[in-house]
Amino acid sequence: MPKPSDLLQGTLDLLILKTLAREPLHGWGISKRILALSNDVLTVQQGSLYPALHRLEQQGWIEATWKDTELGRSAKFYSLTKDGKQQLERELESWTRLSSAVGLLLKKA
Amino acid sequence: MTVRRALRIFQLRARSLSQKRDLDMELSDEMAFHFDQLVEENIADGMSPGEAEVAARRVLGNVALLEEQCRDHRRVGWLHDLWQDVRYGMRMLRKSPGFTAIVATSLALGIGSNTAILAVSKQVLLGDLPVTDDSRLVLIRSTVPQAPIANNNATVPEFVGWKERSRSFESMGAALGYTEDFGLGENGAPPERVSGYLVTADLFPTLRVQPLMGRVFTEQETELENPAPVVILSYGLWQRRFGADANILGKSIRVGGSARTVIGVMPQGFWFPFDGSQYWGPLAFNRAQLKGSARFFVVTARLKDGVTLKQAQAEMDSIGANYAQEEPGPDQNRAIRLDVLREAWWGWARQPLATFEVAVALVLLIACANVATVLVARGAARAPEIAMRVALGAGRGRILRQLLTESVLVSVLGGLLGVVIALAGVRALVTLHPAVGGVPISTVLLDWITLLWMTGISIAAGIAFGIVPALAALTPQNTVRGISRLASRHALRGVLVTAQVALSLVLLAGAALLLNSSIRLANQDRGIEPRGILAFNFRIPVEDYLRNRGSYRGLPVSEAKPPTLALQRVFERLRVIPGVESAAGQSIAPLNIAVLPRMAILPEGRPVADEDISRGAMDSVYFLATPGVFRTMKGTVRRGRDFSDQDTASTPWVAVINETAARRFWPGEDPIGKRFTVDAVSGERPREVVGVVRDIPLRYVEPFSQPVIYTSYLQQAEMFHGAFANMFGQMTFLLRTSGDPMSLAPAVRAAVAEIDPDHPLADMVAEDEFVGADVRQRFYRAGAIGLFAFVAVLLAAIGVYGVMAHSVEQRRGEIGIRMALGASVREVVALIGRRAFVLVITGVVLGLGGALALSRLLQAQLWGITATDPTTFVGVSLLLVATAAAACFAPARRAARVDPAVTLRSE
Repeated sequence: MPKPSDLLQGTLDLLILKTLAREPLHGWGISKRILALSNDVLTVQQGSLYPALHRLEQQGWIEATWKDTELGRSAKFYSLTKDGKQQLERELESWTRLSSAVGLLLKKA
Repeated sequence: MTVRRALRIFQLRARSLSQKRDLDMELSDEMAFHFDQLVEENIADGMSPGEAEVAARRVLGNVALLEEQCRDHRRVGWLHDLWQDVRYGMRMLRKSPGFTAIVATSLALGIGSNTAILAVSKQVLLGDLPVTDDSRLVLIRSTVPQAPIANNNATVPEFVGWKERSRSFESMGAALGYTEDFGLGENGAPPERVSGYLVTADLFPTLRVQPLMGRVFTEQETELENPAPVVILSYGLWQRRFGADANILGKSIRVGGSARTVIGVMPQGFWFPFDGSQYWGPLAFNRAQLKGSARFFVVTARLKDGVTLKQAQAEMDSIGANYAQEEPGPDQNRAIRLDVLREAWWGWARQPLATFEVAVALVLLIACANVATVLVARGAARAPEIAMRVALGAGRGRILRQLLTESVLVSVLGGLLGVVIALAGVRALVTLHPAVGGVPISTVLLDWITLLWMTGISIAAGIAFGIVPALAALTPQNTVRGISRLASRHALRGVLVTAQVALSLVLLAGAALLLNSSIRLANQDRGIEPRGILAFNFRIPVEDYLRNRGSYRGLPVSEAKPPTLALQRVFERLRVIPGVESAAGQSIAPLNIAVLPRMAILPEGRPVADEDISRGAMDSVYFLATPGVFRTMKGTVRRGRDFSDQDTASTPWVAVINETAARRFWPGEDPIGKRFTVDAVSGERPREVVGVVRDIPLRYVEPFSQPVIYTSYLQQAEMFHGAFANMFGQMTFLLRTSGDPMSLAPAVRAAVAEIDPDHPLADMVAEDEFVGADVRQRFYRAGAIGLFAFVAVLLAAIGVYGVMAHSVEQRRGEIGIRMALGASVREVVALIGRRAFVLVITGVVLGLGGALALSRLLQAQLWGITATDPTTFVGVSLLLVATAAAACFAPARRAARVDPAVTLRSE
């Protein structure tokens, strides 16, 4: 089984925003969700996840509230702000542009 | 960025600052949650709880580092750091109060004085003027290029000519200084002498000022020969004398013996052309004045749109040249000079301000150097602390920032103290009034721009004096624990001390020159003894006895019936006031005479050519005097006698002359018994010279002597035709007393009110105050610079002391060994002293160079001494060397007392 590959630099923000677009989640949940949705391909290192979350929060794209989990434990849940939703749109758009460009290049080269 | 997001970010930052502890706890909780989830997952995968925790810890890595990375995104770290630095700095400053006090005080002096100078300069350069759009207003003056001190106002023909011929100006107006005695008012206020101006109708429109109430003068009111009996009051006079009477317009008040209707009140704060102007009357010329007048008229004009000052000046130059060709005469060498109002009014302040600016800049520099010296020393003392912090992982930048924060803190403290000094300094500078003419700076305030400047220089000073010591403190520690580093630090302190010595010498030299000049001026023998004299001015309004009659030889000629009796009655009453040792009067106050009445005299038995008269060769200053005038002033009668009570209207007319007059009019002869007549006065009889007195200077600073003729006020033509006729109605009375002159004032007022309640006493002063005003101003200026110099020398001495004390401390071991090897105390002291000697002498030599270069700027402010006076320079150098030697005394003694035994044991 190949090792889950490290995330491409800069795509982490996009993945976090996209994940949070469905529902509010805590940090643990985000890393699990990304792993699951990518069929265990993409793993997020804690060392980069939490700084990224705090950066996005301080930039005003996501906000945090303390809520109880299903198991009754208090955790920090992140959710998208209105500005975050717009930011996600912008990042998706530029991602699509970038990936199609890269795809095109790989095909022709 | 949307507003919503900006607000959100702002809230987040605010929370990061205010609830740091909560946030840190939340962060730990968040990490703990993640950790627990990992552990649970591992247990579910079949690990034992112990193994699960170890594995989770491995995955999570360094949690503290992770938390730090998260915290970094709050973006307020620098604020926390700053706050930490400030608190740490405060603690360091509190721990060494002596250091803090020295540094803050030196900086307070530097910063405060700089701010004070700025506040005054700002008024001079930018302050509000009482007129609209002042940059287009010019003062037009007629100057004599060879004698710039000469009266440079305009005559009536000049004003009229300029106005007619010039095309550069929108409008032009003239003003004539005029004091009037405001008589018994409706509200029963006592009579009072009020200074004001007579102005032409176009003056106020030229200034573009509107009255607060009523109106300004019309052309009709200033018609030739026929001034209307109207008056405009200043806001201050209206408030003070008329109780802010809302119905003042149209009221009739008594001014100078006649009734005038109040037609307007000017707005608050308005004054023109000098800030003492309290009222304005209509200025109507008479026909005689159109042919020739005295040079008393202040001319103000507004430049037309699009006309530059240069163009206007060029036009006036050609008008002046044409004028001189058309009418050659005594005025043909005059030039016309245009100055923008602000320059004309405050140009004089530039020189003293520049002097002060240099002085305070030097003080600030020295203060910074001194503080840097102290900081370098402290840097050495703090080396272990800094090394420890570096070892604990503090970055160089971080430590540098912290050291700088400390120095900025001290300088801000100095800046706060500086506010107090600035306030006092502004007050002091404002008292730099010019003696005669000129507009005092009276509206200087410390405003926010000035305070901002103060904050600015505080911080700049903090960084300036902090950076070098901070860098020095950071030079790699512990690597080479040795001599070279110490030596370089030592050298740095040496350079700083030398700079201080040099700068303080520059300041000291300037102060000494000014002081020296003031002392010479104060000790100048004035030929009279002003101490103990009460002087005041008494005047009968000219309207009561004088009519204008035309002009003669360019001067206005009037017809006057001298009101001698009124003056005599007052004089006789003054003589019998208890406590008055002797009383006398002279038509114009001695020693401060702005306008000198001059008469041409014709010595008997010697023909005088007409042309000698017209070129002023026979002119003499002419005073009217009472009996005992020289006895009262304690003047020196060289030959003959003073006026006495035997000189009356019915006895032969006599005169007393000064030595210059004797030399001028009777060269090589004994003037006593010689007779002369005063030219161009009808009803004049020959006068016999009965006394010769030593010259009494006519002004504070009299560059040359002039002939003066004194005649008895009782022996004058009954009907006088001639110039300066207004001298007959006025007398400056001088009362000599053994006690405090001012204590006589109430008795004198009461006595005069008994005889003549309608005419006020004006300008009552103790004569020595009056005479001393200019000297005091110079002393004050010298004193202020002297104070700066004193501070500078003190700072330099502290610097020298610091370097020496430090070097003795560091060389204690070496000294001990030398002494153990047989060096005498004298040799040890010489060892220490040699270094101080080199530093101080280098400083003195550099300072002398600087002082010689800069003192030339002072030349114009000096009297009786050159700017490179060798005695002064040698004196200040010796003083500075002596001070430095004194500062070395304690360190040298400490060196001498080093006990070799103690040293040897410790080595």
